[in-house]
Amino acid sequence: MKLHQFFHLIRESFRNTWQNRLMALASVGVLVCCLMLTGFAYLIYVNVEQVFQNAVEQNKVAVYLDITLSDYQVMRVGQKLENIENIDDIRFLSKEEFLAQYNDALSDETMDSFEGENNPLPDTYIITMKDLAKFRETLTEIEAISGVDEASYDADTAAVLSRVRNVVLAIGSGVIGVLLLVSLFIIVNTIKLTVHNRRLEIYIMKSVGATDGYVRFPFVVEGLLLGIIAGGVGYGLIALLYQLLLDNLTFDNPLLKLVPFSDQWSPLLLGFLVGGMLVGVCGSAISMSKYLKQEGSERL
Amino acid sequence: MIEFQGVYKTYGADSRVSHALQDVNLHIDDGEFAFIVGASGAGKSTFLKLIRREETPTSGEIVVNNFRLSRLKRKDIPYYRRTMGIVFQDFRLIDSMTVFENVAFPMRVVGKSRREIRHRVEHVLALMDLQGKGNRFPRELSGGEQQRVGLARALVNNPSLIIADEPTGNVDPQMSYDIVEMLTQINKISNTTVLMVTHEHELVHQFNHRVITLEKGHIVADTGRPRRVGTVSLGAMAAEMGGAEE
Ligand SMILES: Nc1ncnc2c1ncn2[C@@H]1O[C@H](COP(=O)(O)OP(=O)(O)OP(=O)(O)O)[C@@H](O)[C@H]1O
Ligand SMILES: [Mg+2]
Repeated sequence: MKLHQFFHLIRESFRNTWQNRLMALASVGVLVCCLMLTGFAYLIYVNVEQVFQNAVEQNKVAVYLDITLSDYQVMRVGQKLENIENIDDIRFLSKEEFLAQYNDALSDETMDSFEGENNPLPDTYIITMKDLAKFRETLTEIEAISGVDEASYDADTAAVLSRVRNVVLAIGSGVIGVLLLVSLFIIVNTIKLTVHNRRLEIYIMKSVGATDGYVRFPFVVEGLLLGIIAGGVGYGLIALLYQLLLDNLTFDNPLLKLVPFSDQWSPLLLGFLVGGMLVGVCGSAISMSKYLKQEGSERL
Repeated sequence: MIEFQGVYKTYGADSRVSHALQDVNLHIDDGEFAFIVGASGAGKSTFLKLIRREETPTSGEIVVNNFRLSRLKRKDIPYYRRTMGIVFQDFRLIDSMTVFENVAFPMRVVGKSRREIRHRVEHVLALMDLQGKGNRFPRELSGGEQQRVGLARALVNNPSLIIADEPTGNVDPQMSYDIVEMLTQINKISNTTVLMVTHEHELVHQFNHRVITLEKGHIVADTGRPRRVGTVSLGAMAAEMGGAEE
């Protein structure tokens, strides 16, 4: 294709889009809706993931050691904990630090009486786990280490959260996949209507010897254009709606805090533009291919 | 040159089968003007569609301008079609484009420069007596004018073959005559082969061209190329056409 042909076709694409602006509007509308649904599915997933992460943070396990252990033995237990596969993070809390946490609650006298040898609190390791689904096995492993007195935990929360997250992940990716397919399907059918109006043009192009690529080109550019517009508009709308949610939705539980939009704008914008363009171009190409293959003046 | 060798075309199957063409053998030389006549359903449009490679024969071989159509690859079809111009009964102009753009369309497709396009389109429009109508839209023209735009579009790339399926079907008798007259001039002056399907026997008799008659898919009569060239005056139009060949 020659350069001036290329520019002519680009101009034609814009002209066509404008001429079919009503149908173009319909396609963009449909695409915006689908992109926004997909976007919301994504944001829901991001938020559930965050709640889960917060919960994991909160869901630390305190491993209390026998009070009689020597410093060396305490260190040995630490090493053994490190060898457990599912343990993500280990923090050591000495009995002195442990006691210091009660500084505010207890009187100075009481505190003094617990100094040094009299400290009733054990040395403690605070751990977090990588995979909460393996919570119980990991606890059994921890409690089997000699020198460990007890591990305190809230097993039910952990298990429930882990299950919720997996379900949300599965549903979320399913929903996103289905929505993308549905939008492609709707876009194809919307664009088909506009292509149907232009089948004469396609037929004439072919009858004067236009190659398939030449015929397809303006439709692809049109799809691209509509995709970019839909991506931009959809992104703007979702940003607005999400901000509205952020401003108006507050929970008592500090765990339930919406992810700020600023964390998510770049993947969303990218996703919207790329998704819009992809669906636009594929939709356009798919919906016109029928007419591209079709020969015969009478069937017009 | 157009050559049909034992061509059959059958549409459909079983109870809905339709033998559109049967054992058609034919030779048309370069520069001939042939009318294709016959009753409705005789297979005239099918004949033209086979030549344009919109349909493929059920059996037999077709050769057009040294293209053996059975060996023509799909990707080569556009290039094959560039050697011919086409005129439709219902004009088939693109409503959203001006007259100029409609005529320029085939030149854009083959990648001619803007200068060439402007020059040539103006010329062809003048030839079709459409000067000054370039900026109009098809709906702002009479039927006869629209068909002349169609003719201009078919001519614009200097095809070696013009195919017209009832080009006069939607215009009045005087305009029908003018359109065939224009086709005749084009045929004479640039030696373009012209194939024209028509129902109008009156019209056929007004010109001294080859007449091929189809009946139920068979060629039942063929006058062959008339020996005596008609008395059509070439006149001023010849000079104009000369300007077209750059
Ligand atoms: N696409 C098709 N599918 C099935 N049958 C067809 C098709 N095209 C044509 N036919 C049949 O083939 C036969 C010849 O059709 P064709 O269009 O060539 O006739 P025609 O001579 O051009 O008629 P008309 O003067 O009415 O235009 C007819 O019986 C028609 O019904
Ligand atoms: Mg016909």
